[in-house]
Amino acid sequence: MTTAVVEGWVEVPLRRFIDDARVQLALLLLPSGQVLAQSGFSRALDVMSACALAAAINATSAELGRQLDGRPFGGLHYAGAQRQIYLAPLATPRGALVLLAVFDRESSLGLVQLYVGELEQALAIAAPAPVPEEPVIAGNFEGELNRNLAALFGRV
Amino acid sequence: MSSPFAIGLAALVRQRGVTGAMVVSEGDGIVVDADLAVGVRGPVLAALAASLYRRARLSAGAAGLGSAAFLQLEAERGRVCAVGRGDLVLVVLAEQRANLGLIRVEMLRVLEALP
Repeated sequence: MTTAVVEGWVEVPLRRFIDDARVQLALLLLPSGQVLAQSGFSRALDVMSACALAAAINATSAELGRQLDGRPFGGLHYAGAQRQIYLAPLATPRGALVLLAVFDRESSLGLVQLYVGELEQALAIAAPAPVPEEPVIAGNFEGELNRNLAALFGRV
Repeated sequence: MSSPFAIGLAALVRQRGVTGAMVVSEGDGIVVDADLAVGVRGPVLAALAASLYRRARLSAGAAGLGSAAFLQLEAERGRVCAVGRGDLVLVVLAEQRANLGLIRVEMLRVLEALP
């Protein structure tokens, strides 16, 4: 399965997660929707759509958790007929990330949850020193989005 | 409120050397009910044991041996035993000194009584 990363420090932990958890597709992104790494996708457009949807779902469930429970919900699982998704916020020294994993009957929710925990720990160890956050404005966002997609798929 | 599995799990953990018993969903690898000693990482054990049992069951089928009856994993400091029915897997964690024959009989008895 093809794995491509925008930032090198996520590669080893993500590859290990994919191998251990036996997921079919994996996407690591910033909560804003900018992609950091992908595995299993063949088209930039699919990555862009999946990132936008994952970021929206993450923001919605986090806010729903705040409203209902006083804090953001954790992982979100949806089981389809053949495939399942697990969406999880990950806390790293470089800030919050979001993982989207798609798996079938070759894996299980329990296994994915187990290895998401290990992925979060591995990312915390691998993360370089934090950098000051730049404000996300529309112009920057589109430029960075295209740059990240170009890093994953070549020219977009 | 006790679950329909509580009585069976309690009977298993009463066996000498048993440090935990749980009912796990084979497909999801998630704990349905558990009676575990302090320190046993239930969700981790459930996810891995369910995956192991499922693969053993598939292997037995692929080898033309029929369905898997009883799975026993011997490790350095203990044993993991598993039996399944439908999507449920009964998992027992036992020390080396445990009487495996008694545990096996009790597990099969509890499995029969699962709702």
